[in-house]
This record gives sequence, C-alpha cells and structure tokens, in this order.
Amino acid sequence: MSKLIFKLILSRIAQGILVLLILSILIFGLLAAAGGDAVNAIDGSPHISEETARELRRVYGLDQPFAIRYARWLGEIARGRLGYSISYQTPVGAILRPCLINTAVLAALAMAIAWATALTLGTAAAARAGTWIDHLCSLIVIMASSTPRLVLALLTLVMITYIPYGNTPAGRFLQLMLPTLILSVPLTAILLAQMRGRVKEVYDEEFVRAARAKGTSERSILFHHVLRPSLNPLITISGYSLGGLIGGSVIVERVFSWPGLGHLCVTAVQSRDVPLLMGIVLVTATAVLAGNLLADILLRLNDPRLR
Amino acid sequence: MKSQITNQFVFLFRPIFRRRRGSLIAGLSIVGAFYTICIFADFLAPYDYREQSLGEPMAPPSSIHFRDLDGRWRTRPFIHPQQLIDPLERRYQENRQLSYPLEFFARGYRYKIFGLTADRHLFGVVKIAGEERPRVHFLGTDDLGRDRFSRLLQASRFSLLVGPLSTLMAVVIGILIGCFAGYGRGRIDTVLMRITDTMMALPTLVLILAARAAFPLELPPWRAALLLITIFVALGWAEMARLTRGLVMELRERDFVLAAVSLGLSPAHILWRHILPNARRPLTVNALLMLPAFLLAETALSFFGIGVQEPEASWGKLLSAASEITLLERYPLILIAPAFAIIFFIFGIRMLSIGLDQEQFKDKETATFHRPQLASRE
Repeated sequence: MSKLIFKLILSRIAQGILVLLILSILIFGLLAAAGGDAVNAIDGSPHISEETARELRRVYGLDQPFAIRYARWLGEIARGRLGYSISYQTPVGAILRPCLINTAVLAALAMAIAWATALTLGTAAAARAGTWIDHLCSLIVIMASSTPRLVLALLTLVMITYIPYGNTPAGRFLQLMLPTLILSVPLTAILLAQMRGRVKEVYDEEFVRAARAKGTSERSILFHHVLRPSLNPLITISGYSLGGLIGGSVIVERVFSWPGLGHLCVTAVQSRDVPLLMGIVLVTATAVLAGNLLADILLRLNDPRLR
Repeated sequence: MKSQITNQFVFLFRPIFRRRRGSLIAGLSIVGAFYTICIFADFLAPYDYREQSLGEPMAPPSSIHFRDLDGRWRTRPFIHPQQLIDPLERRYQENRQLSYPLEFFARGYRYKIFGLTADRHLFGVVKIAGEERPRVHFLGTDDLGRDRFSRLLQASRFSLLVGPLSTLMAVVIGILIGCFAGYGRGRIDTVLMRITDTMMALPTLVLILAARAAFPLELPPWRAALLLITIFVALGWAEMARLTRGLVMELRERDFVLAAVSLGLSPAHILWRHILPNARRPLTVNALLMLPAFLLAETALSFFGIGVQEPEASWGKLLSAASEITLLERYPLILIAPAFAIIFFIFGIRMLSIGLDQEQFKDKETATFHRPQLASRE
C-alpha cells in the first residue's frame, strides 16, 4: 500500500511541475501580449520624464523580448528564487513568506470550522431526520449557499461598528474569528449538505442492517460503521475547494485588511508588478496542487477499497 | 471515480428540499422578477444613473412623510428638501418649512424602451412652475451626488447581463469539448481531462485577477464587459466539459445510441439528436450552479475597482461605494439594499436549480441512469 501511495506522489509531482510550467507560460504570455508594464502604472505621473521611463525599463529588463524575459524568470525559479518585485523593491520571496503564513492560518481555520460543523451538525441531522435539527441544517445550507462572502463580510463590517472592538484579548480573538468564519461559510454549506446526505445513504446500507441485527448499539453503529465511509466525499470536496478557499480569501482579506496573499494579489494587479504576480500565482497553484494530492492520499488511507 | 464526484456536486442540494413544484415556482418568479425590473429599469429609476448633483454629495436617504407638521394626513406623500449644513462632514438637515409632494408617472429624463422614446418615470417630485424642485433619493446619493437607487437599478442590468452571458458561453464551449472527449475517447479524452483537472484545481479568483492585470485598467464599459466575459469563459468551461464528458460516455453505451450508430448516422447527428437531449437536465442544473460563481466573480472584480469603470454601475461598484464606515454607521440601508439584491437573486437561482433537479427525479429514466442505487431504493 505504501508503494502505491509513493507511486501516486511521484506521478502527481511530475504532473504538477508540467501544470505549473504551462500555467506560467500562459500567464506570462497573456501579460506580455496585452502590453503595458510596471512602468506604465506610474507613467501618468508628471514627475517621470520619457527618458526616466526608458531608463527604468532598461534597468528592470522590461525592454527585452518576451522569450528572454520568460527565460530569465525561469532561470531565477530554477535557482530557487522568485525574482525581484518592482513595486516593493524587495525579493518576491521575502514579501510572500509572511503573507503566505497569514493566508494559510486563515484557510486552515476556515477548513477546520467547516469540518467541525459538517461532522457534528450534519451527522446529527441525518441521524435524527425530520426533527428540528434536520430543518435547522436545511435552513443553514440554503442561507449559507446563497450569501456570498463579499456581501457577508461587508454586512459584518456594519455590525462591527456596534460592537466594542479594541485591542483587548476578546477584540483580537474577534479579529481573527470573523474573517475565518466568513471565509468558511460556502464550504460549510457544501460539506454540511454532503455529510447529511451521505450519512443518510450509509444508514441504508446492508452492513448497517447487519450490525443492527447483531444487536450493536446505535451509538456504536454511528461511530464504528457509518462515520468512516461517510467521510469520502468530504475529503474529496475539501481537496477540490482549496482553490476556492484561496480565491475567497482575496475578498475577505481585502475587506478586513488582513495582510495575506489575496491582499497582496490585488496590489500586484493594480501596480502591474509581473514578478510579484507570477510569484503569487505559482505559490497558490502549488498549494492547491499539494492540497489535492494530500486529499487523494487521505482518501486512500480512509477507504481501503480505493487502494 | 472523478466523474462521480462531479455528479455529487450537482446533487448537493437534493436532500434539502422535497417539494418539487414549490422551489421551481419560487425560483422562476424571483429570477423573472429581477429580469422584469431590469427591462423597466429606466422607467423605475427617477433619475439618470450618471447624472451628478454636485450640491448634494453623500446625501442620506430622503424620508417620505405622510403627515405634515401639524399631524394631519396629506393626500399625497411629500418630502422636505435636504440642505447641506456641513460640507466637510457632509451633514444634512431637512428644511421643514418647505415640502414637495411626490407623484406617480412624473416627467424626467428621456430614455428608450422597446425602441420607443419615453420620459415618464414611476415616481418623482411634482413640478411646480418657476421653482426648482428638489430630488428624491430612496437610498441617498454617492460622493458625486448620483442617485443610489437609480444606480442600483442600472447595476442590476449590467450584473445580470454579464454573469448569465458568460455562463451561457462557458456552458456551450464546455459541452462541445465534453462531447469531443466523451464521444471520441482515446488520446483526445486523456489530454482534455488532464487539462480540466488542472483548471478545476487552480485558484480561479487569483487567476482572474492575474488575467485582468494583463489589460489596462481604464477600458470603455462595453469592452470591459467583453473582457470579463472572455476571462470567465476561459477559466470556467472545464467544469462543464467534465460533466458532459461523463454523461456522454454513459449514454453512448445505451441501446438507442447503438441502434443509431448501426443505422449509419453521423456522430454529430447522434450527439445532437440522441445523446444531448437525454443529458439536458443535469447540464442545466449544473449551469445554474455555476452562474452564482460567475456573478460573484464580476462583483468582486468591480468591488476591487478593476471590473467595470465609472460612470457605469454594477453590483460590485455599488458595494464598494457603500462601504464607507462612517456613513454606514448612520445609514446602513445604503449597503443593505444592494447586498440583499445579490443575496435574493442567488437565492432565486438556487431555488431554480433545486426545483429543476427534482423535476428530473420524476423522469424515471434519467434518474435511474444517474444513480442506480439511489433510484432503486426510492
């Protein structure tokens, strides 16, 4: 079994490198084809003469043809560096690291909230179908799935103005919890609906009936027979939604001024900082691909039938 | 394994609602109401959404009065004009001495509807000869003094065009590619599925931002809209292609398709007449599940100021124009109105997809081929 997982990891890494390469050419090419660069972003300023602009382009190598610029960038990557940000005047890696950690904290907490809700509420709703907890679950799913993060974040900002919200321990806790809660909302809806449907399905399986016939307690049936096979869709969906989670963090970070990757990404777009933008795309895409791989491994660990 | 997961995505909300007609009708009427409002936006809006009124920036919502100062009921509701008393902090005070009645079918700016020119609007301030009439603002004005209510109506027009249009195009392209992969199989299939795997795993919003960065920020509105649609389509077709491919692969093994093949019909004819009609329902449901994502991507881009540019309006622009904390403290309505427009429309789309999905349960054949175990148990 470990051999199979090892093979899976190897083939995914090879695939992943290919994907990242294609993606980088696509984005780089698109940026080059559209014209305009980091100097263009400050072009309108009256303080910058034509010669200065030309000089700046020469210094940053922006006047070179596309192939050379791309080859240079790729050479930097091969040496383990991400290039030099034009707008921040710092190596891209140094800017990215703290932002990446901030976003990772946000995304991990959001994922944890979604899983906790799905595991507790989803299971309870399926085990007690037709009761108030089941209806509550339905209500949460439909509400959460039709409230976009952006709107929710802004409405929360309105509410915050009524809450004393300072630099106290409680205030800082709220500062962390509100963005994570909002980030987790759509994922919670999906996981909750899936868990509830899946647990109900598993309850109908024959092995559950067999366990009941043996006289196993309901509690033991739930924990030993039903829960584990119900986790499969949750694991798969978590892997697939990692991209959405990082995308969603762009919005949440922007609204709550959370210094993460999303915040940085919008800044990079506005200042047309190609090395920085490429660094962000590369890092997020790698994170998502790694997350998918992790989900696939977990899936195989959880379900012996897939090995 | 993978196509099964995509199908589960489609059936996400199935366990939630059991009454089929109810959610279908609710969804249809909500979405229908939104589009009716969009068609008659010019008639419903009291002012042109671009018209600036520099004397009243950031004005609060006008309060509509039904009783005058002595407490007597008036036949017509009326407003008091608002006067800017502190231009720095943009504080306003109602001038209680003056009152202006409102009327239905008031004359206003000229607009075109169904090819006809009209200048009647649903409501407005009664015109009194020789006097300048004040403006009535249901949701106040923005920092250039433009009527937020009129802008909300116009924004719905833009957002409800760009979102669905890009979904439609992504769906068409996705179905075409999915048909190629599912019917052709072999090498084409492998390559296409690898590409869709990649597309689906990537952080879409980050990619949309990166793609948007490639183009200048200042674009004329229609070109900005076109650009947004192109980006969404380029990044959104994969999900649809995946689903179509799974459905086509399952359907092409069925007897009626084999019969069509043995009759010597062309693959295009078989796909169009025999396979796609049978895959219609799940494809529609999935398209409806994709729509909110596109709509929200547009909203997010406009919110960040890199979507549609001034003076045009979209839901995202309205949200960003409303997110000024000092203003929100006093008048939360200016944010709540566009926020609820978005929530309500997406809720309508969700109900519609739930309703349509349950419709297909009635259709025994589709349901059986989709989920054998589930259908047999019911």
